[in-house]
Amino acid sequence: MAHAAVAQPELELATYEVAEQVTLLNDAWRRIRRNRLALVGAVVIVLLLVVALISMVWTPYPVWLQAVGPTYQPPTLRHPFGLDQAGRDILSRIMGGALITVQVGVGSALIVSLIGIPLGLLAGFYRGKVDTAISFVINIWYGIPDLLVALILVFVLSDALHLIPRGVFVIIVAFALTRWMDVARLVRGQALALREREFVEAARMAGARDLALLLRHIFPNALGPLIVQITFAIPAAVLFEAFLSFLGLGLPPPTPSWGAMAADGYHGMDFAPHIVLAPTLALSITLMAFNWLGDGLRDAFDPRMKR
Amino acid sequence: MRGTVVYVGQRLILIAVTTALVSSIVFVLLHQIPGNAFLNETRQSPEALAAALRHYGLDRPLPAQYLDWVRGVLRGNLGESLVNRGVQITPLLIRETSVSATVGLFALLVTVGLGLLLGVIAALRQNTWVDYVASSTAVVGYSIPSFVIAIFGLLIFGHYFYIWTQGTVYYDPGWGDWTQVPVPAVALGLPYASYVARLTRASMLETIRNDYVRTAWAKGLSARIVVLRHALRNALIPVVTILGPLITGIITGSVVIENIFGIPGLGKEFVTSILARDYNIVIGVFTFYAALVGLANLTVDVIYPLLDPRIRY
Repeated sequence: MAHAAVAQPELELATYEVAEQVTLLNDAWRRIRRNRLALVGAVVIVLLLVVALISMVWTPYPVWLQAVGPTYQPPTLRHPFGLDQAGRDILSRIMGGALITVQVGVGSALIVSLIGIPLGLLAGFYRGKVDTAISFVINIWYGIPDLLVALILVFVLSDALHLIPRGVFVIIVAFALTRWMDVARLVRGQALALREREFVEAARMAGARDLALLLRHIFPNALGPLIVQITFAIPAAVLFEAFLSFLGLGLPPPTPSWGAMAADGYHGMDFAPHIVLAPTLALSITLMAFNWLGDGLRDAFDPRMKR
Repeated sequence: MRGTVVYVGQRLILIAVTTALVSSIVFVLLHQIPGNAFLNETRQSPEALAAALRHYGLDRPLPAQYLDWVRGVLRGNLGESLVNRGVQITPLLIRETSVSATVGLFALLVTVGLGLLLGVIAALRQNTWVDYVASSTAVVGYSIPSFVIAIFGLLIFGHYFYIWTQGTVYYDPGWGDWTQVPVPAVALGLPYASYVARLTRASMLETIRNDYVRTAWAKGLSARIVVLRHALRNALIPVVTILGPLITGIITGSVVIENIFGIPGLGKEFVTSILARDYNIVIGVFTFYAALVGLANLTVDVIYPLLDPRIRY
């Protein structure tokens, strides 16, 4: 930094064309700002986070409170999204659902990374038998119907064995245990490629230990594609939670999960479609935002798409 | 050719191993559940309970039960339903597979057909309003979960268009009756169709800039031949690679779609059995699904080299 500060006055006198020094993140940021869809996605995600935070301290009505007005009441000024079949305020429940969605998304991303990144780094860095073993497990895992295993896991872990109470956490665990392979495979590929690069070789020559090589040189350089992969894991987890709760196998009532709310409203949908409309719209918009942001990030981090 | 046979053989073994492994894990997990499947039956004498346990072999140690189950599966016998006594699971699942497959194949048709069509049209008319409409539909459509499309499909066709449909969006058609399939199949296939459309558009755009495509135009070949035979065939390759995950997605998605429309297929059986704690059927359906997903992925990998002769095994 000090370097640049000294050089600057001279640069202004002589109008040399100097290539701007850009880091990966700077470059990506510059390109993502030009992608309008990705920006819209980011704004929606920030909005979702804000709503989730607000719902922790305040919702217009308690999310579980029944009979705040007539059941199946269509939207009114007092209740902008209407009331559901138990007379609960839908706006409050949508806000509570945002919190659940954020918990599921962030938690899943975290656990998927915790499983996938170390396995991928080990396989790619040590190659040989370690890689063969880990890759074999990854391939086996790809052959199983993931969501169905996760569904059984939720049931077994919470209802049958009572290991984890039925709630957000068990859903996150089930999702992560069946969907960690995408991250592991990606990190493995990155590590395989990066370990041959000159800067890793130089660090090795300088006497860096394996752990330092992995954490300080290989992992940071794999971050770009990793962020993209994780951005796509979040909507998958959110969709999984909605899917389970819709089937009645996810979060127990009266948890305001968007999937469960859609299931609640769907029996009265011919005369009160607003009950289904609110959670399905919220869910679709959230998924869309994450997909748009993910697409934008992918383009931004892709070195082939310079400028 | 010989390479292909060896490859298919290896894959079949891997599928068998995977299926055996995951269904064994599910078997053991479900048998860890404390209590037994008959606890919620009311007014049951201890003798009747003991008889029921003996009937299903549930009074024996777990390893013996497991061996019995494996022996049964090898002979194609998945056992007997715990809830509906006397119902054999294998014929039940075979019948339900035919129903699920009818809907699933139609959904696949929607996915690939509609996806390719939209993708190719968008690529050929790049940066015109046609492209914008197709691309933005795809980018929105991909994010709408199939169960949301299903709910509104049901509302629109079962309720608002009652005069046309008499409220029947779906009834049990069995294998070969296509008339009631469209709405569930479209709901199941549409999100993936958007995905295929996006992928096709991108890969088409890359392909039509190639020299050999320009040569084909320059030779004066008709648009149909250039697009279909020169460009599309190469553009298809990345699309085929996602067919495997796509089929897995359709199979998984059918679980929720079948429950919404009340389609008596494997997916509905799966959820019903979990809720009814009919573990024998849960394990059976799961074994079916695992094998099905493996075989679907294998089929895709075998089709792949037919499309692209550069790929060999």
